[in-house]
Formats: sequence, structure tokens, C-alpha cells
Amino acid sequence: MTGGLRRVASTVVLVLVSFLITALILRVSGYSVGEVFSGVIQGAITATGASTSSIRWAIPLLLIALSVVIGFRAGFFNIGGQGQFYMGACSALAISLGWREGPAGLVILCGTLAAMLAGTLWSLFPGWLRVRFGTDEVLTTLMMSFIGALVLQYLTAGPMRNPQGTGQTAASERIPETFRLTGGSGVSATVLLLVAGVTVLVWLVLERTRFGLTMTLVGRNATMARWQGINVRRVGLGAFALSGALAGLAGAVELYGPAARLVTGFSPEVGFTAVVVALVGLLNVWGTVIAAIFFGGLQSAILFLPIVTDLPPPALVLLHGMVAFLVTIKFRAVRRRRAAQLAAPGTGTGGGGGEGAAPTAGPTPAPGTGAGSG
Amino acid sequence: MTAPSGPAPAGAPAVRCRSLGVSFGAVRALHDVSLELAPGRIHALVGQNGAGKTTLAKVLGGLQVPDAGEVRIAGKEIPPGDVRAAKAAGLAMVHQHFSLPPSFTVAEALELTAARPGGHALYRRGDLHQRWQADVAEIGGKAALATRIRDLPVEARQSLEIVRALATEASVLLLDEPTALLTPTATDALFERLRRLRDSGVTVLVVLHKLREVAAVADTVSVLRDGELVLGPAEMSEVSQGRLSDAIVGPAGRSDEEVGVRTAGHEEETLLELAGVSSDESAFEPGLSGVDLRVDAGEIVGIAGVEGNGQRSLVSAIAGLSPLTEGSVRIDGDEMTTAAPARRRLRGLRLVPFDRNTEGVSQSAPLWLNQSALRLIARDGLEILYPPRRGRVHSVRPAAPPRREPSRMARRLEDWWDRRRSPLISLRQYKWQATQAMDRWRVRYDTVTQPAESLSGGNIQRLILSRELDSGLEVLVAAQPTRGLDFAATEFVRRSLQGLRDAGAGVLLISSDLDELFELSDRLLVMYGGRIVGHFAGPYDRRAVGDAMTGAVR
Repeated sequence: MTGGLRRVASTVVLVLVSFLITALILRVSGYSVGEVFSGVIQGAITATGASTSSIRWAIPLLLIALSVVIGFRAGFFNIGGQGQFYMGACSALAISLGWREGPAGLVILCGTLAAMLAGTLWSLFPGWLRVRFGTDEVLTTLMMSFIGALVLQYLTAGPMRNPQGTGQTAASERIPETFRLTGGSGVSATVLLLVAGVTVLVWLVLERTRFGLTMTLVGRNATMARWQGINVRRVGLGAFALSGALAGLAGAVELYGPAARLVTGFSPEVGFTAVVVALVGLLNVWGTVIAAIFFGGLQSAILFLPIVTDLPPPALVLLHGMVAFLVTIKFRAVRRRRAAQLAAPGTGTGGGGGEGAAPTAGPTPAPGTGAGSG
Repeated sequence: MTAPSGPAPAGAPAVRCRSLGVSFGAVRALHDVSLELAPGRIHALVGQNGAGKTTLAKVLGGLQVPDAGEVRIAGKEIPPGDVRAAKAAGLAMVHQHFSLPPSFTVAEALELTAARPGGHALYRRGDLHQRWQADVAEIGGKAALATRIRDLPVEARQSLEIVRALATEASVLLLDEPTALLTPTATDALFERLRRLRDSGVTVLVVLHKLREVAAVADTVSVLRDGELVLGPAEMSEVSQGRLSDAIVGPAGRSDEEVGVRTAGHEEETLLELAGVSSDESAFEPGLSGVDLRVDAGEIVGIAGVEGNGQRSLVSAIAGLSPLTEGSVRIDGDEMTTAAPARRRLRGLRLVPFDRNTEGVSQSAPLWLNQSALRLIARDGLEILYPPRRGRVHSVRPAAPPRREPSRMARRLEDWWDRRRSPLISLRQYKWQATQAMDRWRVRYDTVTQPAESLSGGNIQRLILSRELDSGLEVLVAAQPTRGLDFAATEFVRRSLQGLRDAGAGVLLISSDLDELFELSDRLLVMYGGRIVGHFAGPYDRRAVGDAMTGAVR
């Protein structure tokens, strides 16, 4: 328990340090730090509509971050949430525009399912490459993400382009108002209930089903899982599918919620910020909820800030980057330390330590062997 | 040989430490250990897993900073945790786990890790080989200098570790459990080498597990128990075997390890059958070619052989971890040649894998999850999907009362939950069942949520047994089940296997410890180059088995 507490504390400290560094950079660049941070508070919480806006941005972040958490549980790093999100949104859009006269409930249901399916397919392909050929999923999901962004660009500039558009930005037509689950604010009871339900469901699947436990075992040590008779490939594919479905769902929620139409390159960072959200949330469902709300607030503040200061919006993206940077360092450092400990356990057993698929003796050099009298 | 720092003062002990203490949190790894080792002799250090042997070795080598006490090597005081100072004083260490980089050639690895003076940042292959040829030849190692480390057999790697340790003219050689991975022959060769080193004036401190090995090689022996030095260093000639084992185990060590047998009954039935099985070679081993094998109910079949002669391929074939090119596998009469591993396990196959740390448990996963792994593949619960066909479920359980009872209310709730066939599972129930099983097998732990990596080797093996043997089973494949375990844990594992046999299950025991195979096996097969080259029945002839192991007879 104290270990868990320490992990939470160290993450909070990391976020605070990121704030400090960002403040320092702003200070050096000649901005008033106090003004900027009071602007952040206003933009995230106190200004009119700010809290709603924070929640609005937290929703896609949460759904995609949960998809990252699921991947991680099974030992995969699905960082292609952005593309899966786009593909989900595009599929939902296609259904909604193609069946404008349909009953709203049914269209939304079909659109949402289509979005989840599209997200699934978009992550299942890299997933299949991973379990079949061992291709690094970090690369393939990222590449698929770029393809997804280009597909969106093509659709909004080509087949789905709004013929009445101004031509400034490529955008689709709006979906009928009856299909929308929220107003322009992007928050409504329906959406909140939906997201809460999905979150609880993800938690149940991860922590209270045989599949979730199996995934945990595979993610921590696939070799052992194989010896235990677990079909590691099938579990891996399942994790990829589930992960993609969630990111696709985020796309549908975005469309039926605040967006109503798709603009090329909309919410360009949400899929990547979500990875940071999942890491800050310690890859735990409830931690991710808290982190998503925090980053949703930041996103809202980024949009609000230009109103009260002369700070360009990207300046606060700096903060994202800083948190991502520090959290990644911490994450890697913990893994390294663990690997080092495993290479030299205190008590006597044969064989090499270390988790992972490679059954060979670990190449970690013992401390001190390199130091010599030379 | 002399230390680079000059000869030690006359009469000074080669190693002296005073009141060493090391604690890891609440665990006292070493407590007030004072030890003096006379120069030019072979000193053995023994003790159970977790007794503090490795910690002491690390403190001496400067790899672990002690909380208290001082270390002197050849009369020179070593600042706590100063690896360089320990090396400069003439101490060289051979670690329990091999530390040479697997992708390097022998010469490269030696050049990199031995840090012998006179090397250059840039080298030519020929020069490098010249620099190291003498060393490798001197120890009788046949390994070609251009061979990659990963392609070497374990005993050659072991030799290289020693070559490396001695490359800088060490006067004190410290070996941490060097025999854990070696075959009996390789162990004998290692001991011979240690004796030669001693005769040339090197002081040797070797951490050992087996009393037989201590008797074979040591001049003096010291015993650690629970972090305290309880014996020695005493002359081997003055210590009886009985006194030694008492010192290791302690006064109250042995009595409570009874393994109760639940069901008995001896049936003449084939539980595991391999017919003409062949498979492709793997990166480490030859594949199988035409292996016929049968394990009947109520027998232990031993597989002897030098490691790397197809034992891994054999277990993979039985467990369904790799495909066969030819032949068939039947488990308890059912055709299982192409069956998934899970089906085989549910049919009653259980495994104790070769490497418990990577294949047997997930180190970072909590104990209860490790313990429950078998339950995860049985969708409807083990008892249901694995019916006691023909009325036979073998199980061997140590008879130990559980230490925690849940309230009756909680039990009833969980029974109800169980019956509902909900897709959701009750973690409480998983944890409770894991607790019970682990208590029966006397796994020593604090909470079921602690990670498996916090357990000692013997306890991890008990955890694996508690998973594999606690539910009903037909046939157990135990691969190196006692490797690296201390005396008490080894006995426990062996008696568990015997208990299983007596309960009517079949056991296939793969081991590189011939004594163990001779003691336990009803029949003994010898593997060489992926084939079964010898069939033996007791009483066993050590020579004949040994010849078969080297492929001398067929």
C-alpha cells in the first residue's frame, strides 16, 4: 500500500515540477507568471462555462487514455489513439450523413457501433502484425495514426466535403441536430452517463473478469503465461481490439457531442495527450479519470488564455510536453531499476532473472565488473 | 600469485570482516558477522536460501554497503561499498548469474569485462585472440575465442567467468553458488580447478548449497543461518556431516514438513504417451527425433542427460508450446498432438518449468494472481471442466490447517456468487483460495498481494507446486525442480514428487542431478542429441548412465 502511495506522490510531484519549469520558462520569456496561472485557473474552473469546457475536453482524453491503459495491461503500447479516434469519428459521420432520415436513436447506435468497429480495425492491424511477426507496435500504431489523419483530410476535402463550405478549411456537412447528444458545450447528462458507464465497464473488465486477469498476466510476463496454457496471441489481439474500440468510441462521442461535423485535423493532439494522461494516471482506471479531468482543464485553459493574456496558446502546450517528458523518464527509470534488480536477486536460484519474452540470460553487466585496475 | 598492491603482511588472514550488519527494511540479512579466512585454502560458505550468503559475498566484493562493520582483504581495509578498492586489494568475484554479454565473442567479452592492463580502445581481432589465448587454454577451456558467449554451454560460460575473475591476478577468489547450473561432471572439473588455484596460493571462498559438494572441495566450512554466522570457519576434518546439517537447518527446522497423501491407489494405466515424436531444433537445442516415451500411473520416470540435449524440446512437445513435425502425444488416453496448451492442462497435465523465475512465475505480478493462473484458463471452474473421469483425481496436498478462516457470512456470499456463473469473478475468492493453497504448501509470505519477486527461490518453487499440484492432476512434468534450492526446499520438492507418485499420478522428472534421479526414478531414460539413447531400471549404474549421457553408447 505504501508503495502505491509513493507512486501517486511521485507523480503529483512530477506534475508540480513541470509547472515550475514551465513557469520558469514563461518568466524568462518575459511573461507575468502570476497572470498566466490565474488565467489557467480561470480558464479551467472559475470563468463562465470553464468547468463545462474542462469536462468537454476531459471526455475524449479519458476514453482514449482508457484505451491506452487496456493496451498496457496486456503489455502493448498503443499510441495510435489519434488515428483510431479519427477513424471512429469518420465512420460515425458516414452513417449519420448517409441515413439522415433514420430514427435518431438507431442512427446514433449504429454510428457508435461503426465507430468502435473502425477503431478496432485500425488497431487490430498493427496488433496482428505484433502478435504474428513481432513488429514493434509503437511504430505501427503511430504510422496508422498518420494514415488515419490523412484519411480524415481526404474525406473532409473530398467525398464528404460540405459543398456550401467557405473553402478556407476542409470540413464536412453538419449532422442533423436531432442526432446530437449535447449542445455546443459538449457536455450533457446522456454523455456523462455514457462515459461513466464505459469507465466502470472498463474497470470491471480489467479488474474483475478472467480476461482482464489473463491480460495482466500476459502483460507482465508472456513467457510464463504461455507456460500456463494461456493463448498469448489471442489475448493480445483481444487487448488491441478493445483498445481500438474505445478510441473509436471517443470519435463517435466527439461527433455526436460537441463537434457535429468534422474539420480536417480537428483536436490534433488529443490522442497523444491521452497517452500522457494514462501514464500520469498510473495506468489505473481511476487514476486515469483524475488525470483526464486535470488535462481536460489544461486544454480548456489553453483555449481561454489568449483572452486574458497575450500568451500564444502553444506556450501552455509546453506544460503538456514537460509532463509527458518527466513522466516518461520516471516510467522508464522504474522499469530499468526493476530490470536491474531482477538481474541480481538476493537469494539463490538458477537461471537468469528478468521478465519478458527472451529466455536468454540477461545481458545486464554486473555492477563493478567493468571497473578495473587498468 | 600476489595482489597488485603488494604482498599481504605475514600471517594476516586473506579476508577478515568484523561485526558486519546489513538490513533490507525489516529483514535482517546479516547480523554481527565476523569471519577470518586463512590464506591459501578453500573455504566453503553454506546456508539455506535467504540465510545471507549472497549478501555476505556482495559485502566482501564491495557491491553492498554494510550498515555496520568493516572488511579487510589481505590486511587492507576496504571502504564500505568500494568495488575498486576490493579489486585493487586482490579480490575477484564470480557471480551467481552469468554476467558476460551474450552477443560478444569470448575474446571480446574477456577484453571488455576483465579490464586487463595494456588493452587499446581499438583492436584487431588477431591481437585480441593473442592476448587471451593463454588464459583460455590454461584453464582447459576448449571454447574457441571467436565463439559467441550465447552459443557456449553453461559449463564453458562458468569457466570463462573464472578466467575473467583471475585475469587481473587476484589473490582471493569469491564464487557465489558456482555449481547451481552445472552438471555433476562439470562440477567435478570446477572443483579440480579450484584445488589447482589453491595450490598456487589463491584463497578461495565458495558459496555452496549441497553438503556433498562441501565435503568434496572445502578445507574449512562456515555456516550462515538467518543472517548470523552459526558455525566456523571450522576445519572440514573436525565437523561431522550431521553437525553441519543441523547448523544449516537449525534446531526446529525439519519436523513440520510432512506431506500428506490424500488418495492412494495404483493403476496400470498410461497417462502420458509420446510415439515417434520429432520436432524442429530451437535456438538453444537440437529438436527431438523419434522420441518414444511412456509414463504410467504411479511411477516416476527420470530423464537424465547433459543440458541442451533436447530436454527443453521434449517439455515443449508435451506441453504443446511448439509444434511437432512427426509423431503423436496422448495425455490420459486422449489424442493431444495438436491440442492447445490449455486443453492439455485441463486434461490433467501439470508443469514445473525449467526456469522458475521467468517461466514459472510472473515476478511483478502479485502472489495470488500467480497462484490463480491455472484457474484463469478454466472457464467453468476447475472441478467442473476437469471431471474426475473414471473416478480418478490425483492430488497430493500437505496437510496443514489454513491460518485464516473467513467469516461464515463471507463464505456463503462467495458460494452464492460462484453458483451464479457471473462473468465477473470474485477477487476475494481468488485470493482466499490462493491463500489456502499457499498455506498448505507452506509458502512463506506476508500478504497475497506482494509481488512474486519478493520471495526466495525455495518459496517461489513452493508457490509453483501449490499451483500445479494442489488441484487434481494426472501427470506432472517437472523440469529441474530442485535446481538452486537449499537442502530443506529440495527435500520438500522431492517428497512432494514421491507423494504424487504414491497417489497414483505419473511424474516425468527432468534433472541434471544424477543423485536425485537415482533416488526418485522408477525408470530412467537418457537423452542425447534429441534422442532417447538409454533405458535404465534401478539399481542404477552411475558409469553406464554417465556413458549414455555423453553419447558413448547407444
